[in-house]
Amino acid sequence: MAKSLLLISRQAPWSGPGAREALDIALAGGAFDLPLAMLFLDDGVLQLTQAQQPAQLQQKDLTANLQALPMFGVEALYACNRSLFERGVDSGALNLPVELLDEHGLSALLQRYDLVITL
Amino acid sequence: MNTLHLLSHSPFTDSRLSSCLRLLSIHDGILLSGDAVYALQAGTAQRQALELMPDGIALFALEEDLLARAIGDVPARVRCLDYPAFVELTLRYAKVNSWL
Repeated sequence: MAKSLLLISRQAPWSGPGAREALDIALAGGAFDLPLAMLFLDDGVLQLTQAQQPAQLQQKDLTANLQALPMFGVEALYACNRSLFERGVDSGALNLPVELLDEHGLSALLQRYDLVITL
Repeated sequence: MNTLHLLSHSPFTDSRLSSCLRLLSIHDGILLSGDAVYALQAGTAQRQALELMPDGIALFALEEDLLARAIGDVPARVRCLDYPAFVELTLRYAKVNSWL
């Protein structure tokens, strides 16, 4: 039985490669049928807002890749409710179906997985 | 000797913005670029702090960074700039302080 992996993505989408790298790990893991979940924490929740225009910065769209997660078998998707609130992000208008977690839910989530990677 | 303060990091992950707000002088300016434009997101404490600055302090933001991050509906006092206007702006201040 493969070990389960929780990926914590905490980088904003356009400031560096962190957000895309976390997503690439998730998609690769999903393609190999690893039991894998992804948590969006801190500035990572900014990846989830709608109507972003990365072409303005000559960058590729991240939203399409995020929305591919369920197709790659990564359906356990979570976001930190507090991170969303602090950043003024409307949890009802995200580009991905995520389960919102409070502090208690976050620590319970971390305990459920064998391995954790934070980027 | 007025200073233009350049901020480019996320206001949610460290104290650059709050420190900058503490040591501003009355005719200084702030230019938000990169992840610093997230400070203009509606409903955040950071935006409220920027809106409450004295009128003498000019507030600028790079338009392409606002568009990339889907931040619309910015406060009326924000002047949106492109890169040529950014360069021109730096020449209008005696000093430029980059919060690296």
